Amino acid sequence: MLIKFSLFLIGCALALFVSANVLLSLSPSDMPERITLIGQLMLLSAFMLLSATGLLLAAKRILHACLGFFSAGQRSQRRLLFIQHRQDQLHRLIHFQTAQINYFNETRRKRLLVANHRKHIKALSNALTDELLSIKPQLSKTAFQQLQQENRHYCKRLDGEGLLKLQQKIAASATS
Amino acid sequence: MNTFKDWIFTLVNLFHSVKDENLRWQTATYDQQAKLKQARVLAEKTLADELKKKSLQLAHDIALLRTKNHAELAMLKTQCKQDIKDYQQYLAALDRLKSSIQASYTHLPEAVAFTIHHHAKHLLNKMWEADNFEQKMQYEMRLINFMTAVHDDARIHLEGDSRQELPEKTLRLLQQP
Repeated sequence: MLIKFSLFLIGCALALFVSANVLLSLSPSDMPERITLIGQLMLLSAFMLLSATGLLLAAKRILHACLGFFSAGQRSQRRLLFIQHRQDQLHRLIHFQTAQINYFNETRRKRLLVANHRKHIKALSNALTDELLSIKPQLSKTAFQQLQQENRHYCKRLDGEGLLKLQQKIAASATS
Repeated sequence: MNTFKDWIFTLVNLFHSVKDENLRWQTATYDQQAKLKQARVLAEKTLADELKKKSLQLAHDIALLRTKNHAELAMLKTQCKQDIKDYQQYLAALDRLKSSIQASYTHLPEAVAFTIHHHAKHLLNKMWEADNFEQKMQYEMRLINFMTAVHDDARIHLEGDSRQELPEKTLRLLQQP
């Protein structure tokens, strides 16, 4: 209604401007000036009315939005969404916690395996050292040192295959 | 000036007539509007109640889920602890296996003992890391057979029934793919 009225005022103002223009060309009196002034006032009031209507509408919309936001329906909806999100979070959490427990379990098992492997590698390395010492007189100094170094190297790297090959090498050196 | 006054009066009259018309429409449709408003309030209330009920249901479900998760995690932890214990026991058994074969075959090279132990450990790991039950059982059977063969060799040699210097039965199993 207010918008219609302000548009009507704008229309009137424009009509007044046109009539003032026509009167200006017809008679040199001060009538056109007065009409122009009235037209200007009308245009100004129309724009002010439009602005006021806009502000009023915006305030109304904001108030409605605020009321809607704090209404029981929307509050319940938000709460429901929050709970649903929490449920999803719990599902994800159990998945990650299970994966974490499995990962730590696997790490512990591997640590046990490595410790056991180290123990047996050390035993094999000690046996090889004894074997090497027993055939030391048959070997040159460099060959002995080389074999000893290889033994230490494989032992440090926990390389069982390497130690077994070294054992064959020592056995071959002993027979030759 | 009079014409301008007439214009203003006409405008005011127009405004009043529009207002009157609006009032008449409001009066005519008052019942409908009241009904509509009531229906809207009722619908909003029903929706809010429904949502509240659903929220309560979900909150209850979450509490149940949390309890279930706690129980599942506790069970998994216990199971993992037991797994580690079993694995430790298996490793200890394999260590004893190596000791027994070394005790029986006093001249058995450490390399051979190491290979036997290593193979048993390999089978144990295969069994442990198997994805399905069937494979697990297969590797378990192989491990049990292997351990039995080692124990048999050690026992036979200790009892003096065998004059072999190496545990042949075990070594034959080692060469199998």
